[in-house]
This record gives sequence, structure tokens and C-alpha cells, in this order.
Amino acid sequence: MAENNDNESGDASLRDAFGHTLLELGHRHDNLIFLDADLHTSTKATGFKKRFPDRFVQVGIAEQNLFGMAAGLALEGFTSMPSTFAAFAARRALDQLAISICFPKLNVKIPGSYCGIPTSRAGASHNCIEDLAVMRSLPNLLVADPGSNADLRAVMHTAMNTPGPVYFRVTRYAVPELFGPDHEFVWGRGETLREGADVTLFGTGIMTWFCLDAADQLAREGIDAEVIHLASVKPIDRTLIVQSLSKTGCAVTAENASIYGGLGDAVSEVLTDEWPAPVQRIGVRDKFVESGGIDELFARHLMTPTDIAKAARLALSRKVRREVLI
Amino acid sequence: MHLSSQQQQDLAFQAYQIRRLSLEMIAFSQWGHIGGSFSMAELLAVLYFHEMTLDPQRPHLPTRDRLILSKAHGSPALYAALALRGFMPTERIYTYCEPDGLEGHTHIDSAPGIENSGGPLGMGLSVAVGMAMGLRKKENPRSRVFCVLGDGECNEGNVWEAAMSAAHYHLDNLIAIVDYNKAMAKGFVWDLMSIEPFADKWRAFGWQVLEIDGHDLDAVASALHQARWLMPNGKPIVIIAHTVKGKGIEQAEFNYKWHTHAPDPDTADAMLREVSRTYGYPEEGYSRLTKQFQKDVFYGGE
Repeated sequence: MAENNDNESGDASLRDAFGHTLLELGHRHDNLIFLDADLHTSTKATGFKKRFPDRFVQVGIAEQNLFGMAAGLALEGFTSMPSTFAAFAARRALDQLAISICFPKLNVKIPGSYCGIPTSRAGASHNCIEDLAVMRSLPNLLVADPGSNADLRAVMHTAMNTPGPVYFRVTRYAVPELFGPDHEFVWGRGETLREGADVTLFGTGIMTWFCLDAADQLAREGIDAEVIHLASVKPIDRTLIVQSLSKTGCAVTAENASIYGGLGDAVSEVLTDEWPAPVQRIGVRDKFVESGGIDELFARHLMTPTDIAKAARLALSRKVRREVLI
Repeated sequence: MHLSSQQQQDLAFQAYQIRRLSLEMIAFSQWGHIGGSFSMAELLAVLYFHEMTLDPQRPHLPTRDRLILSKAHGSPALYAALALRGFMPTERIYTYCEPDGLEGHTHIDSAPGIENSGGPLGMGLSVAVGMAMGLRKKENPRSRVFCVLGDGECNEGNVWEAAMSAAHYHLDNLIAIVDYNKAMAKGFVWDLMSIEPFADKWRAFGWQVLEIDGHDLDAVASALHQARWLMPNGKPIVIIAHTVKGKGIEQAEFNYKWHTHAPDPDTADAMLREVSRTYGYPEEGYSRLTKQFQKDVFYGGE
């Protein structure tokens, strides 16, 4: 498990990659306007603020207005990026996001910062576990949960070149790099990071790194796990999911979010439609994530690589039982 | 500046037509908001036929004035104004609330001339603020953004977030118009949630305030003229237009029971005849009751 958690002195977390990539986007896209709701030092947008003061709009602590103004700027031909914590994007400004932005398919790119469990010790109010479910349910909105710094950078560049609204998660957490510097992100395409025959571990966001760790643990027991990274949560790579399951026959999903409505459900929906198979879901199980140390919280909510490995064994046992029954 | 009597006559006719077409589409679709559509008929008539820079042939003209209808349930009146102004064929009003037709609440894909999508109350002013800021960033000094709000929706916190930001950014190219028709869905504003002292609230948020009779065409035109030429000095402008909900049909006037209510065909016919009499035009009933209408709409005019 990654021990290099982002803290105030760390510089390798996904939110730092966000700040660096935002500057790149500012140089490349003249029409990008960034809107901030009094969080730019936390979301790492300060570099953009300094470099492009004319395209940095402070709206104060007013998330409904943040999303409404982003809609208005997009209607005038700008690509707007309303930025706040995932919790407030998914909860506070949902109506504005749905009707002012998603319904008219406006060019608004929404970073959901501080998503999931790693938010320092802010507690249940800020640990946003529902955004994947909420955002996935909005028509016209594409949803991504990048798994590493290079992945986030690729997601952001692709998002800018994708017409319409996009939601992508930015995590206050550092994981080892999964991809090379030339990595490209394509909507609806998953990435097989490790091939295996016994069980498929589907990860999204930082949990993909946990899946790779779990696969190592399983390998030591002779279990050959396939690891697939699904940064594009919506649309999801239906073909790859079915292909992998037709080989392995069972799966575990892992997400830095609630087990309701996010990656676990997205994968299960595909399998229910096309290739019924046992799936174990790793994620927050219908609980608010209260204050605590980050690793402590991952352990408390049974979301560590060891938990993923345990879920894989369970999925494998169910696969066997199913074959016996047939 | 005052309207000439010819201008007054022309605008009065457009306001009358906006009421007629609104009622036609509400009766035909059996859904919609008569009260809030009728209360802003004069406001939209003056905006669309006198004040705003628009070209129906070029709905995306960069130098056009923009209008955001924040009280998006008043969509029939806006669709009517756009149809009358030539943005779409008049027959299209009979697609109101039909799939691929005119959406129940204003939607950008419904018709040319609709600038945004709305419905949930209190959201439009933020969008207008974003547009006004966007115009500034594009260095477009000609276009203005009008935002028509309802009085009831000013209960929403989002309105005041937007008001605060418009003043903060000195958006004097933004003109909010409140259709202050005194009634909400289930009662009067003062009974459900008081908004007074209303003008003082806007002033305290850094806006310039004009208060007018929203059914007086000359007063509406003068206020908009004032907003255009005299007022811009770094502050956004709000015109509080005192109106009567359901203005033009006696049983609907000041009657929140006609906030959302679609009349049956016979009632619609009687209401339309009453509107004709009230505004002094030859009596005309509900077109759906005529054979010619049925031919036009159902058989493509053959």
C-alpha cells in the first residue's frame, strides 16, 4: 500500500498534478476560464491564478453561483472550469450542474477535488463518497477517475478536447505512476495493467494502485489476477469487461467511493446485461467516512489491498460454486 | 424618452398576442403557467419588439442582446414572443410540452432565441452573470444581458449569491427585471415568504433600482431606456416591475390558483374572448375549436 500519502509538504499527489496540468491547459487553450470558490490553494490552482489572472474568476463561497456562472461563461463560448471540493460539486450545486450545465450540454469541465477518503482529517462533511454515483446518473455528463498523475494529466487534456460537460476526480493522495509520459486517455477505454486468468480486479482512481498491490499478494498464493484500470467510469469499457470476464469468470471492483452507484455498479450492470458472473465490490459500504488518518480510514472501511485480495478469494470461491451448481 | 402613440399601439398589440399565444399553447398542451406568463406580457413585448438588438435570421448574432428567463415556467410567453418576432413559425407553439417540441421550461434546444436551459428557480441570474462577465472578457461592449426573474424565486439563496457577484464584478451590462406579480404557486408572497423591503435588498447588494408599473408600456420602455443610456456606472441594474399575476383574465388576476392550471377547451375559448374584449380587439376564441385550425395543425393546412 502506498505510504507516501500527500501531506502539506508532499508534491507528488494527484492534486499537484492537477495544478501543473492546469497551467499547461491555460497555455494551450486561450478560452479556458477557471472559477474558484475560495479553495485555490487547496485545489492547487494558485499557479494558474498567478499566470492567468484574467482567466481566473473568484466567486467566493457560493457553489450554486459557481456552477451558474460557469454555465453563463460556457454559453458565451468559453470553456469554463468551476472548481470546488467533490462534496460541494456533487451535493451543494447538483441542480445547477444538472439543469444549467448538463441538460444544454455546455462545455464545462468540472474537477471534483478532495474526492473519496483522502482529505486529511476533515471528516464526513468533506470525504465525498457519493460523487461517482451522483455524476454517473446525470445524462450528457462524462465521468473519469484517473489513477495516477500521468493519467490525470491525460484525462484533463482529453476533457478539454471533448465537447460537452465532463466531471473528473482529483485526489489528495499520491500513488506511484502507472503510465508513461506519453499516456493517452480515451473515453470508454479501459487499460489492462496486468494480465491474469483467475480473477479480474477492476480499479478506478487511486484504487487501481491498490489492485496491483493485491494482485502481487494473490500471486504469492498462486492466484493469477488480471488488473484493469477503468478511469473512464462513464462511458465504461463494456467490451474489455466482458472480454476479461469471459476469461477469468469472476471479478472484484475497487473504488475510492461508495459501493452504491459507482464503479462497482457500473461493472455489475455490464455483467448483468452481457456476462453474468460473481462480483465483489470494494468501497465505502453505506457509511459516512468520519475523521481519521488516511491509511487508518482505508483499513477501517475494508478498502486496503489486503481487503481486495480477500474479496478476490471470495469471488473465486463463488465462481467454483457456480460451476458446481451448473 | 416616451413612446409615440403608434409605438404604444404596436406594442400593446404584441402584448395582446403574447397573451393569446400563451393561452393557446397552455390549453392545447393541457399544461403550463398562465399567471406568470400573462404578468410579463408587456415586459416581453417591449423587450422583444422595442428594446433588444436581435436578428431572427441570425439568432447567434454576436452583438445581440441576450435574455435569460430565470422564471422558466413563464416559457409560454417567451416562446410566444419569439414566434411573433419571427424566430420560429407560429405553428410550432402547438408542440409545447411534446417530445422534440418546445420544452415545458425553457430549453436551449427548443427554439432559436432561447439562450439557456432552466426550470429550477433561482438559477437564471447566475447564468446571466456568467454571460455578462463573458461579454466583458470578449470585449463586447454592445450586448447586454437581461434576466427576467419572478418575485417568488427571490426566496432562493442562489439569487442573492448571483446578485452579490454581479455587483462585485461591476457588471453594468446586466439588467435584471423582476416580474413582481405578488403571487407564488400556493399563495401570496407576503404570506408564504416575505421579500420586502425588496428594493432595499437590491440596493444593499450594490444594485441600482428602478421601480415601475410593469403593465405600463411607456414606463417599461422608459425604464429600459434609462437603463441603457443613463444608468451604466459600474453597477448592475434591477427593474422591479409591479405586475398583476394573470393580468387580462379576471378570474386569474391575483389568483395563485391559476399559477399552474390549464383550462379546458371551452374555458380557454371564453378566456381568449375575454382577453380580446379587455384589450379592445375583435373577439377571437380558441383556435382549436375551429375547423380551419384542425386542418392547419392536424392535416398540414391542406
